[in-house]
Amino acid sequence: MIYTGIEYIFVNISFVMFFFVTLLNLINLFYKIDKIDHFSKNSMTIAFFCTTGFLITRYLQTRHLPLGNLYESLMFLSWGFSLLYLILEVRDQIGLSHAVLAPGAMLIHAFATLSLPQQMRSPTLLVPALQSQWLMMHVSAMLISYITLLCGSLLAITLLSLFYGKVGSVTLEHKFEKQSFFFLMNPRKNLWKQTGAENYSYFLISNSRKCQLINCLDKWACQTISLGFSLLTIGILSGAVWANEAWGSYWSWDPKETWALVTWLVYAIYLHTKVDKRKMGEGPAMTASMGFFLVWICFLGVNLLGVGLHNYGWLA
Amino acid sequence: MGSYHVLTAKGSTALGGDKLTSCFSSSSGHGFLLSHQLFHRNVYSHKYRIQANAHNRKQVSTAHPTSDTLKTLQRTLSLDSALPPAPPLSSPQSDEGKRAGPSSAQVQDEVRTASGKSHLASNKPSAVFVLFRQVKRAVERTLSSFNLALAELAIIAALCALGTLIEQGQSKEFYLEKYAEDYAFGMFNGEWVLRLCLDHVYTAPYFLGLIACLAASLMACTSSRQLPLVKIARRWKFYNSGASVSKLPFHETLPRAQLADLGALLAADNYQVFVKGPALYAFKGLAGRFAPIGVHAALLLIMGGATYSAIGGYRGNVMVPQGLNFMIGEVMYPVGFLARPPDTFDTEVHVNRFSIETYPNGEVSQFRTDLSLFDLRGREVSRKEISVNKPLRYGGFTMYQTDWAISAFQVRVDGEGPYNLVAAPLQTGDNKLFGTFLPLGDTGLGEVKGISMLARDLQSVIVYDSSGAFVGVRRSGSGRPITVDGVSIIIDDVIGSTGLELKMDPGVPIVYAGFGALMLTTVISYLCHVQVWALQEGNSLLVGAKSNRNRSDFQEEFEKLLDFVPEIVKPENGTPPVVLTNSIGGLQNPDKSVG
Repeated sequence: MIYTGIEYIFVNISFVMFFFVTLLNLINLFYKIDKIDHFSKNSMTIAFFCTTGFLITRYLQTRHLPLGNLYESLMFLSWGFSLLYLILEVRDQIGLSHAVLAPGAMLIHAFATLSLPQQMRSPTLLVPALQSQWLMMHVSAMLISYITLLCGSLLAITLLSLFYGKVGSVTLEHKFEKQSFFFLMNPRKNLWKQTGAENYSYFLISNSRKCQLINCLDKWACQTISLGFSLLTIGILSGAVWANEAWGSYWSWDPKETWALVTWLVYAIYLHTKVDKRKMGEGPAMTASMGFFLVWICFLGVNLLGVGLHNYGWLA
Repeated sequence: MGSYHVLTAKGSTALGGDKLTSCFSSSSGHGFLLSHQLFHRNVYSHKYRIQANAHNRKQVSTAHPTSDTLKTLQRTLSLDSALPPAPPLSSPQSDEGKRAGPSSAQVQDEVRTASGKSHLASNKPSAVFVLFRQVKRAVERTLSSFNLALAELAIIAALCALGTLIEQGQSKEFYLEKYAEDYAFGMFNGEWVLRLCLDHVYTAPYFLGLIACLAASLMACTSSRQLPLVKIARRWKFYNSGASVSKLPFHETLPRAQLADLGALLAADNYQVFVKGPALYAFKGLAGRFAPIGVHAALLLIMGGATYSAIGGYRGNVMVPQGLNFMIGEVMYPVGFLARPPDTFDTEVHVNRFSIETYPNGEVSQFRTDLSLFDLRGREVSRKEISVNKPLRYGGFTMYQTDWAISAFQVRVDGEGPYNLVAAPLQTGDNKLFGTFLPLGDTGLGEVKGISMLARDLQSVIVYDSSGAFVGVRRSGSGRPITVDGVSIIIDDVIGSTGLELKMDPGVPIVYAGFGALMLTTVISYLCHVQVWALQEGNSLLVGAKSNRNRSDFQEEFEKLLDFVPEIVKPENGTPPVVLTNSIGGLQNPDKSVG
């Protein structure tokens, strides 16, 4: 029972750290303080290692990948959020995705540890259908795709909230045209061009920062969702192959796989609208934010209803 | 197209992302010259030539041989001049006329063939044929419409979701009872569920029709949009007028820049570069153009395979007690009209053993069935222990472990027997319960009294006496007798039966091929297909580029690349010539670079 103690320590430290990082990131949105970035990165690293430690402890206890029940998969989800946070630390300089990822990780962690009863949190043994090599491939691909898709959709929601916030006197369509213009140039180029060109006066319009943010968010959302979409494809297809091994049919319209298909279709629509130049703007972002709810329905909703073949690790 | 000079830099790491930024940070003229030289050596050492600009640059160098910074440049130029003499910049028109003339005409001809219109008009085909073509084109245009395809996707998604909200495949009474009340002002009730086929959405005609429409859209999109794009992308098309370059979504004029420098930079950045006279065409990531076609093809493959599964397969379920056997052909029934029975249907299956493994805490860990297959002559052709996740495959069909039951209790009564008492299922589903009854004495028809035995698994049996009181629990095969109502009972064994699902699905290989292709192509789809056109107009260089996705990112990257195209500043009043970058770095330190 030493494992229970270790788990307890890991879970609590990581929760405190997630909470701390969330606070720091929210402060960071409004006040620019130099040290905050440093602190939040360090705390997130601690949280990441604690969650990793938790998952390893679980593995040692049960001798299978810690994806056997809902609690473990939620912890894996928050682990994925923290990992994504640390990866984006390197690439995303604006730090907006941090303000989205940190609360996400914290809320999932809180839901897993606070709202699930003790019996659902204790490690479970694998039922016969889950004893397969495909478990790792399918479940991890699905969960990582959920993480990336959730993150992308959250960015799209942030985009929409900025978009429909106060935008001043500029009309929407006009504004978006300007944004697309705006962002296609990097600052260095602009400075260089300023020496020769004079019609860059709108560089100074009041909501240029907002335009920048929206465009950045759009780009990030699209890239994250693209990644998540291919992972979701791999996840669904590996699941289908597994189903053909275990249940005798690669597709049986089980609620969970149907919702995964719905999610896949909606994100396919999103990616197609992104390819089409005429459909720039808030339309794709709305599709993407719809995907946010679909992922949650797919991940939790189906198990909450307790229907279908995927009903593992929920209340017996 | 032999007259084009193809540039591919073998040692292309010269312009890796890291190098590029590091070159930029040392933004003095000298620092840049070094990198400039690096690129040139990289290209020229591989015996590739760019002819158009050699003359121009030579002029620069011969005019100011005394320059300190130009020594390095001169060295590259001496390499350059060792090559065969290049035509001067002013002559590309005649040059093109002589060498590339026929090929450009050929290109134009191909374009005309692709558009198809002019040829049709000249051939004067019959009216029926024209009408057919027009109808075909109209249908194709409608089907390949972007909005239609998206609408189909959205409706399919909505119907899929609806299918999970209403329970599928239940009886009529179930729906009439469950949706007895009128929802949405009498617009929705049990009858409507049945009338709209909502009890089996996924096999409803409109759902299948929608999927067929989607398949048609996919095909139309591939043939009318994607394939022509690939054809165009594969053709090395040069733009010889500034206007057509300016029409591109991204275009830029670089003053005092050379086509050759751009070509070298692009080649070093893994582009395929083609130069003809003053025009340049380069591309990379052509796979990114092919992959979406692959995605659509894979989806069609999956749909086709699934259709074949639905009309050409066999299915069957069987519950076999341990020790008995069955013929495969007896339990299999055809699923669709294309189903043809294979020879292997004569195979006989014998269940050697069925067992349930448990964890120490009593939970089931695995169901195992040991199966032997015999052909008509009684020869064993295959033997395997199957379990959940480990099916048996033989001769086109697959056998899965899906269910279990208890078929009989083997008991000895007062040392007599053993008797096999048939077990009856009392509870089904996840919490199975089986029971049997051992009558005692000959009490006539009126009241039959006896011992009841219940079991939840193959291991332990709970025994009740004739009054229904609990007597005890015995493990099967333990040999320990239990005395009930004066009778000594030994439970020898609990015989299980294994629930097998049999399937013959000829569509699986096709579907799997589609799965593999889909996984691969969705990942490759994120490659950016980038095309670059450039045109030398006097001293300035007109550059245009286009990519099929990821526009903002691509433009940022491409601008970074353009920043490294050297800008050759001609001297005024005897100051030495300077090579600048086209970036702010060059302008920020004019003193340094002018030296």
